[in-house]
Amino acid sequence: MCLQRRGYCLKRIGIDIGGTFTDLVFWDDASQRRVIHKRASTPDDPARAGIEGVLELCAKAGASLAEIDLILHGTTVATNILLERNGAKVGLITNAGFRDILHIGRKNRPCNFAHNQVVTRQHYPLVARQYRVGVAGRIEAPSGKEIEALDVAAVEQTVQAWRDRGEITAIAVCCLHAYLNPVHEQHIVAEINRLWPEVFVSASHDIVPLYREYERMSTTALNAYVGPGTSRYLQRFSKALSTEGYAAELCLMTSAGGVVGVDEASRRPVSLLLSGPVGALIAGVQAGIETKTDHVITLDVGGTSADIGVAPAGQVRMRALLDTQIGGYDAMVPMCDIDTIGAGGGSIAWIDEGGAFRVGPQSAGADPGPACYNRGGSQPTVTDALVVLGWYRADALRNSGLDIDPELAVAAIEQHIATPLGLTVYQAAAGIYQLAVHSMVESVRVNSVARGLDPREFALVAYGGAGAAFAVAVAQELSMPKVIVPPAAGVGAAGGLLATDMKYTRQATLWQPLSSADQPRIQAVADELAATAVAPLHKDGFGSEDIVISYSADCRYVGQGYELQVPVSANFGDPDWCQGVADAFHGAHQRAHHRAFPDSPVMLVNLGVTATGRIRAPASAPLSASGGCSDSQQQPARFRVAGQLDCVATQFVARGQLAPGTRMTGPVVIEQDDTTTVVPPGYSVVVHPLGHLQIELQERVAHVA
Amino acid sequence: MLLDGTLNSEVLNPQALNPEALHALSASTAIGADVERYWQTVDVDPVSRQVIGGGIAAIAHEMAEHLFRMAYSSIMRESRDIGAGLLDRFGRQICESDSTPMHCGSLPAYVRGIDRLHHGRYQEGDVYLHNHPYHGASHSPDYGVLVPIFVAGMHVGFAGCTGHMVDIGAANPGFSVDVPDYFAEGQVIDAVKICDRNGRIAGVWSLLMSNVRTPEANTGDLEAMIACCELGRERFVALAQKYGLDQVMSAADAAMDYSERLMRARIAALPDGVYDAPTAWLEDDGKHWGQPLRIATRVVVSGSDIYIDLTGSNEQVSTGFNCPFEGSVLPTANFAIRSLLLSETGDGRGVPQNDGVFRPVHVIAPLGSLFNPTPPRGCEARFTQINRIPDQIMQALATVMPEQVTAGNSANVCCFVYAGESSEADGDDYWVSVEVNEGAYGASYGSDGLDAIDNLMANTRNTPIEEVELTAPMRCECYELLADPPAPGRWRGGLGATRMWLFNAPLQASSTGDNRSIDPPRGLFGGCHGRAGAILHHRANGETETLPAKISNHRFAPGDRLELKLVSGAGYGDPKQRDPAAVWRDYCDGLISAQDAQRDYGVVFTADQQGVDWEATTQWRQQGSKP
Repeated sequence: MCLQRRGYCLKRIGIDIGGTFTDLVFWDDASQRRVIHKRASTPDDPARAGIEGVLELCAKAGASLAEIDLILHGTTVATNILLERNGAKVGLITNAGFRDILHIGRKNRPCNFAHNQVVTRQHYPLVARQYRVGVAGRIEAPSGKEIEALDVAAVEQTVQAWRDRGEITAIAVCCLHAYLNPVHEQHIVAEINRLWPEVFVSASHDIVPLYREYERMSTTALNAYVGPGTSRYLQRFSKALSTEGYAAELCLMTSAGGVVGVDEASRRPVSLLLSGPVGALIAGVQAGIETKTDHVITLDVGGTSADIGVAPAGQVRMRALLDTQIGGYDAMVPMCDIDTIGAGGGSIAWIDEGGAFRVGPQSAGADPGPACYNRGGSQPTVTDALVVLGWYRADALRNSGLDIDPELAVAAIEQHIATPLGLTVYQAAAGIYQLAVHSMVESVRVNSVARGLDPREFALVAYGGAGAAFAVAVAQELSMPKVIVPPAAGVGAAGGLLATDMKYTRQATLWQPLSSADQPRIQAVADELAATAVAPLHKDGFGSEDIVISYSADCRYVGQGYELQVPVSANFGDPDWCQGVADAFHGAHQRAHHRAFPDSPVMLVNLGVTATGRIRAPASAPLSASGGCSDSQQQPARFRVAGQLDCVATQFVARGQLAPGTRMTGPVVIEQDDTTTVVPPGYSVVVHPLGHLQIELQERVAHVA
Repeated sequence: MLLDGTLNSEVLNPQALNPEALHALSASTAIGADVERYWQTVDVDPVSRQVIGGGIAAIAHEMAEHLFRMAYSSIMRESRDIGAGLLDRFGRQICESDSTPMHCGSLPAYVRGIDRLHHGRYQEGDVYLHNHPYHGASHSPDYGVLVPIFVAGMHVGFAGCTGHMVDIGAANPGFSVDVPDYFAEGQVIDAVKICDRNGRIAGVWSLLMSNVRTPEANTGDLEAMIACCELGRERFVALAQKYGLDQVMSAADAAMDYSERLMRARIAALPDGVYDAPTAWLEDDGKHWGQPLRIATRVVVSGSDIYIDLTGSNEQVSTGFNCPFEGSVLPTANFAIRSLLLSETGDGRGVPQNDGVFRPVHVIAPLGSLFNPTPPRGCEARFTQINRIPDQIMQALATVMPEQVTAGNSANVCCFVYAGESSEADGDDYWVSVEVNEGAYGASYGSDGLDAIDNLMANTRNTPIEEVELTAPMRCECYELLADPPAPGRWRGGLGATRMWLFNAPLQASSTGDNRSIDPPRGLFGGCHGRAGAILHHRANGETETLPAKISNHRFAPGDRLELKLVSGAGYGDPKQRDPAAVWRDYCDGLISAQDAQRDYGVVFTADQQGVDWEATTQWRQQGSKP
């Protein structure tokens, strides 16, 4: 990479490949120019649409691929391999006597009140039992000493058999207490490399060197499961890009919201499981910075689901490491706190046998889609409700090749909801909308309030095709003061990729009581972790002045079982260092649990190091000052006013015609190709100089103005 | 194949029940149901009803999350042996967390226990602690914390939670079965106020903590429980402020009625009748070895009500092996019926677990019996017996609900407590570690039984081996599925786990459980019975002693090993009808041998052991099982 050479003045491309659309954004630091491109995805081979899209985008931007300094990619390939369950055939090598840890897990079942239930780890094992092999050898805790030698012959025999039979395509290695001493795992990996160098190997000390054997083993097996497929895809994509002239390294968005090089991503594909949805969260942080908003929550609503992310103080929030499940499997890797719920434009409204009115999680998807698409769907969906309320007009989706038939939306809601519940079709549609809003609200609440964050201090940033139709209602329920709809909100995730720093995170379990911590050891571990985190940044071309190293500690009171992460200083040798960590932890505990125990001893469980290579985020392009709101239409639409559902004259405007500083009062519907923004009565919208729509309660705006 | 004496159709009305039927108790609570409501019932529109309902459910979830994240002892934080929820002033459960069912279902009984002494005297800021097993506690180690909720100065309900304390000052560390009465099972706390508006009541805390072996862990756990309830209180008050108490309570009422309506519809769909399960047997009471205990189970379906009649079950026993009726038996019966009729994985998904689900379910257990003991009998070790109740109910209803029931389950709980004197200079004098071992499910129509997983009323987590080894002088040498084959059936039974501990220091252990040695899990419709478990003490000198399922303060020396072989579930349907491909998979996975495949399932593999020999299998199966 040539970051230094060009003085950080870069031409960048962000590419977000989803199931339906491939979104691309080009940004040139020198000319401050942004170019957007959207094209159909090619699910049989996602790289194809990727390459073609990049070339098309370059043509549109008038740049050659050789000029591009950085291509950043958010991918759902690893996630889809997992959800579609077509990953590698994995072999597992572990300690003798423990091969079923993957099957037993934490021995709990997902549902309390059910006798027959699917337990993913048992019904869809990442590694079939016949390919789980235990070999003798044992490390002791807490000393980390070897108390039984590794049975190398058994390892050799196993690997040879797998290689010769040709059934296994990836190997996971996970030994007890490898987080304390990885020597046995290293030895096993060396044997595999010697005997079968081509096979994909994933070792627990390398993937997730943290204690708790089941979670570590599951993560390691998951990495092996998605490994060959993901790395094949990445290598192919990367190679095709360089064949077309791209000279730098392809970079990937991780679940943790940082970007890593293709080699790291290929080695740890388990870190890519949220690679797709993270982009919108990062974009939201960027939109927050541009609009001088400290705390943001992002709402990315697509066809079948909504992703909700929380970023207090401009910082992406991470999920607690033991809550990180994907597709029913446990993956103990850092992930942004993004919650996905089954509420999108295609979610179906229904009445259950007990008479309760429900929306989702079933979705009509893109096919047959909502009833109003006239493609065979007869179930009423959220989109149908938006049509009945008059917010989505018949030609709203014309550029996506869809004509909306409002009659069909009315008929579906009438038949399935309004008549059985004795409501008018408008009341029923408003109800569907409100229930969808409600599930988004609950998700935001669980991800904010439940974690000690007050949504009233946050702005809600809308992304995805449908996010801008829901954002104001969600914000209202939670008393959030402001909604932001960035320009090109419909392709926000791709833009988010450009606003990301390169980040490499390394962790180690230390298990040190802070009252008697071995500070020289902590220093040594920190130094080692920092060195391994920084190395790839140097390789990527970052100079030391643009690398920031930050340290964190996962702590708990001695006797507790769950850690809270706190940032810590790098002065590990300081006599006050331990007290500083303890104080930070007491504070975090107070915030998370409403009490702290300053007299209780604190355990330092894990140390984390993140090396960040800073990349300047592109600014949003300022809007041209011309225009005004020349061409608006009035049409009736239904809104809830003072608790009553009323039909009110509503202004419909095209977003492209809005000049900066334009101020309008709801009800207004702002239409653009990739999304529709709904501003209800009582709210005002102001167009920010950089193109963001800022929506606030009217009296608030009046007050500020 | 039918079970013995399944349907006795001549008696269909409550006269079919014992005289005790008059005292039939439902887990539905109403302390003074005749008391006037303290809110105006208002019409809540369907949308607000769902919104408020969702808000209420989220509170319980958040409370539980809070509790296990903050808790100290591994039994609470790793195993998550806890429950949390909100209750109204009458003690009707409004919502509960989805943690261990045993805990949540018992909250209403705790409220009854506390309310009987403090009714009408609650003050804002009060915190009550309760564990009296004869006044609603599930058993004495399950502490219940209750915080009254006030809205606009009026007492409107409670936030409550329960959690298993690692030690409560019993005769032996943790617990043990062989005790004379419930006083020997630990300090009894009968609805004691431990905090008021000024904070902790110091003397009470001192008394509490100076009578347990692990005061540091207990203090941390109790603080976590209080924080959990305070959070529930705050959330409920905020909800009431936002929507108004009348709306919230009316929505809660509507949610209870909704759950009740669904439950009643399901019960009514069953043919009225009296359904008896075969008599079941427990190994012993933990002291009088070789004297099995009887469990009689009759299920009476009458309209939209269902009665679980345990009359005929054993007299109460003289050890701690009895079951508190209100706090343990009632929630269990309710669990059994809800899981069967309103399964969370079926169309009962999303149906709130609240008082409404309890209303149509009634339980009869004569006073002085195993399931309804009288003071001062001990009743700490009750899980193994009560976990047989759902299993028995399924046996009773198998012919009318063949596709919903499972074949016989492990239906026990093998619970161990390990303890030793602590070597740490500061901190507690003892270390105590509780291990709730897993069970296994019986097979059901269309699916094999779940292997090595918590069974029925239990749904806890294991403590990571790496955690135990970091904190206790024990080393795990094996934690795997049993080497024995699973119980054959068209769908095979779930396989139990096996565990081997090596002890590096002297320690004492107690346990409760039932190896199912005299009455293994019952196969259904031609499926084979499940397998008994075993507990072995391998001494450092090479001798092996077979231990009973219930040991009381048994000593282990350094270098000794404890081997657990847990119970496996039963099969469902004729094994000769099992899909040969599934038999082949079990063979490849090392669960059965080729001989097992041929003998038990009539499946023959090719001579080179490369797959199923379909022709030979067809022939073999047609000719019958005889070789």
